[in-house]
Amino acid sequence: MKSHWMCSNMVRCLGDGNTSLQKLATSIVFFFCLSDVSCNSVEQKIYVELNNTVPCVRLLNATHQIGCQSSISGDTGVIHVLESEEDLEWPLSKGPNPPYMVLLESSLFTRSIMMKMKNESNRVAGVAVVVPNTSPPEFSPHTTCPNENTGVYSDNYGPNLAHCNTTVWNPRGNGLSYEEFDFPVFSLKEDNETEFIKQCYLDHNRAVNGSAPQYPLCAMQLFSHMHAVTNTPTCMRRNDINFSINPEMVCDPLGDYNVWGSIRPYNDTVFGHKENESVVIAAARLDSRAFFWEVSTGAEGSVSGFVTLLAAAQALREVTHEAPPTRNILFAFFQGETFDYIGSSRMVYDMENGKFVIDLDNIHSVLEIGQVALHSGNNLFLHSDPVSRRNNTVNDVVREELFSSFFPNVSQPLPPSSLQRFLRAQPIPGIVLADHESAFNNRYYESFYDNAANLNLTYPSDLSPEEQLEFVTHTAESLTDVATVVARALYKQAGGDESRVNTIKADPKIVTQMLYGFLVSSNNSWFQAVMAPELKNILTCVHVLGYLGLHCFVFFCLLEPSPPEYYYLLANLTGAATNLTQSQCQKPDELPNESRQMYSYLWVQGIVPPNSTERDSFCVRASVRLTKAVSPAFELGEYASKDYSTWTESRWKFIKARIFLVASRDLEMLTLGVGVAVLFTSLLVTYFISTKADVLFSSTREPASAAY
Amino acid sequence: MNLERLPNEEKLTLCRKYYFGGFAFLPFLWLVNVVWFFKEAFVKPTYTEQLQIKTYVKCSGLGFLLWVAVLTTWITIFQHFRAEWGEVGDYLSFTIPLGIP
Repeated sequence: MKSHWMCSNMVRCLGDGNTSLQKLATSIVFFFCLSDVSCNSVEQKIYVELNNTVPCVRLLNATHQIGCQSSISGDTGVIHVLESEEDLEWPLSKGPNPPYMVLLESSLFTRSIMMKMKNESNRVAGVAVVVPNTSPPEFSPHTTCPNENTGVYSDNYGPNLAHCNTTVWNPRGNGLSYEEFDFPVFSLKEDNETEFIKQCYLDHNRAVNGSAPQYPLCAMQLFSHMHAVTNTPTCMRRNDINFSINPEMVCDPLGDYNVWGSIRPYNDTVFGHKENESVVIAAARLDSRAFFWEVSTGAEGSVSGFVTLLAAAQALREVTHEAPPTRNILFAFFQGETFDYIGSSRMVYDMENGKFVIDLDNIHSVLEIGQVALHSGNNLFLHSDPVSRRNNTVNDVVREELFSSFFPNVSQPLPPSSLQRFLRAQPIPGIVLADHESAFNNRYYESFYDNAANLNLTYPSDLSPEEQLEFVTHTAESLTDVATVVARALYKQAGGDESRVNTIKADPKIVTQMLYGFLVSSNNSWFQAVMAPELKNILTCVHVLGYLGLHCFVFFCLLEPSPPEYYYLLANLTGAATNLTQSQCQKPDELPNESRQMYSYLWVQGIVPPNSTERDSFCVRASVRLTKAVSPAFELGEYASKDYSTWTESRWKFIKARIFLVASRDLEMLTLGVGVAVLFTSLLVTYFISTKADVLFSSTREPASAAY
Repeated sequence: MNLERLPNEEKLTLCRKYYFGGFAFLPFLWLVNVVWFFKEAFVKPTYTEQLQIKTYVKCSGLGFLLWVAVLTTWITIFQHFRAEWGEVGDYLSFTIPLGIP
C-alpha cells in the first residue's frame, strides 16, 4: 500500500506563517499531494529516492516462512559494491563500518554468496541485486524438485519416484526463493539510478591504499517491513483476532481464479456427476514466480503452455461446430500452480465435493501442456505416470492417444504438473506434453530471466509496435505447430470424426499476437480489442503475470480481481460474436435463446474500423467461466494442512529505498552530547540567575506594589 | 491540594479514603497515599490522628510494593514467553507486534 509520506513532508515544508495562511497552504498542499508534486525541503537535499526497485517479500506456509524481512524503520547500511566472492570478506569480517549494504551484480547472486551473508547477518544490513538486461547463462531460484510434497508421488504412491529420486526436474535450481533472510533484498535495474549509486560508492566508500574509508560514507536504506511471521496458522490466527480496537490483517492467502471453457456448454448451476458424460480435459498453467515480488513473466514456464492451449482451443472451434466429437473437451487453465498446485487442487476438491459442473468419474483422460517452447529439433516428449499405468484400462487409454508412436518412458515419473493432483484423487489416464525428456530445458525456471529472450523472441528492429504485434516470429511458428498437434490429438481423443482431423490447423497470427501481448507489451491493439472497455486501466499497468495476492494489485485496490486477459482471450477464441446490444449483453436472460446459466456474455471493445474513430464493440457469447482458485486448506480452515497448499503472502505498509550520506557514529554521539550539555548548562544558568535575581538585577526604582 | 490548610480529622478521612480505594485494584492510589502523606505521617510532630495515618501509609506502601512485584514478574514472563506460547500468547495480547514473532 503506498503511504503518503510525500504529503507529510510538504506540510512540514509550509509550517510557518499565520494560521489562516497555513490553512490555505495546507489545503493547497493536500491538493498537490494527489498529484505528487514535491517541494524543496531539507529532506530532498539529504535523501535520494530510488524508484525502480523491486523487493523480495515474505511468504508463509504451514510450517515455515520464506523471503525477506527488514526492520520496521528500515535497514541502513554502508554501501559496498561486491567485486568477487573473495571480496565478501570486507563486509563480513574485515570492514570497519558494519553493517554493510551489499550491492551485487547478477553474476554474483548465487546461493553460496547469499548463504554466507545469511550466516553473518548482523554485519549485513541488506542486499541489492542489479538485474541486467541480458540474462546470465543459467539461473533458477526455485528448488530442484518443484512441489515435491504436494504432488502424487509419496511414500504410498511410487515411493521410488518420489522426491525426484529418479529424475531431478530442475537441476539448476539453487533454492534461493525458498530461503529465509532476515535482511531486505531488493533488485535494481541497470539504469541511471544504479550508476548514481555506484558513483556514490566510488566517491566515498572506497578504501584508499588499504586504509579505512573516511566518513561521511554513502549508505542505503531499505524499507520492506513485513507484517506476518512464523507460519500460516499463526498469521491466519492473528488475522482473526478481533479483540483489539484496530484489527489488522497481516497476511492474505494466495489465490486468484481458474479459467475453464468447454466445447459444449454446461449449466453453471447444476453441479456434480453428470450421467453418460465423458470429458477430455486439456490443462495448462497460468502462473509463474520469481525471487522478487511480481516480476515474473514465465515465458517458457507458463506462457508457452497456455498460449499453445489457447491456440488449440481456437483451432478446434470450427470443426467442433460442424462435426461435434462424442466426448466434450474442457479447457482448464490453472492459476497458482507454482505454490503447491493451488488452482488444480481446488478444482479437484470441487469435483470431489460436487461443487463443479462435472465429477472426477466424468473425466475420460487428461492432456496437459507443460513447457513446450524450447524444443530442440522439434522433439516433443510425452510424460505419463508409471504407477497408474499399471492399471490396464489406464494404460490402454494412454496407448490410444495420437502419439502412440511416441511411447512414453515407463520408468520416469510425471514432471510437476496439474495432472498429479488429479491422480492424487483417482487414477485417471493422462499425458503431459513437454519439450524436455528428463530435466527441464528451461535454464531460468521460475526466475525473472524467463522472459521473451529465453524463447528467442526477436523482432526485426525496424518494425513499429503494431507491426511487431502482427509479425509471425519463429517461436510463434513452432508453437503453432505444437498447437496443431495438440488440437488434433484432443479431437481424436474426444472421438471426433477421423476424416476431419487433418483439417485442424492452429493460426500462427493468433499465437504471435498472444506471445507479443504476454511477453512484450500488453497494451496493444489486439488485446484492447478483445477486452471490456473498463479494463483499459489494467493494461496500462505493469503487465506481469506474477503470482497472486488478494490485496492491492498494482495501481488500484480491488477486493475481487477483474477478469484477466486469458479469460477474455479464451472467450473470444472459442466463443461466438452475437448481435446483442450492450444492455442485452448484460441481461441476456430476457431473450428467448440466451441463457446466462449456459454461457458467459462479455461486452468487448472490438477493433477500430479503418475509417472511423469509434470502436466496433460487440457481445461475445462463450461457454467460459471463472472459478475460484483458493486452496481448499483455507476453505476448510486447516491452515496446517499437509495435503493442500497453505501459502500466504504477508502484508506490508510501504516499501521504498533511498540513499544518503551517513556520518560516523562518533560524530553523532558528539553532537548529541554537546546538545545535552548545552541543555543542562542552560538549566543551571537559569537556576542561578533566578536565585540571585535580586543581586543581579538590583533595582533603583521604588519597590513595586504587591498588587498581584 | 494543600494539606496544610486541612484540619487533622479531614486529613485522616482523606488518607483512609485513598487507602480503601486502593483495594479496588488501584495501586496508584496507594502510591499517592504514600507520597502525599509521608511528611504528615513521619516528619511532622505528633498529633492525635498521626498514628492512624502512619498505619495507613505503611499499609499502602506495602500494598503498592506487592503490586509492583506481581506486575513486574508477570510482565517479564509474558514479554519473554509470549512468542513461545503461540495461540495462548496471542489470545492474551491486546496488541500484537507486527513482523516479529
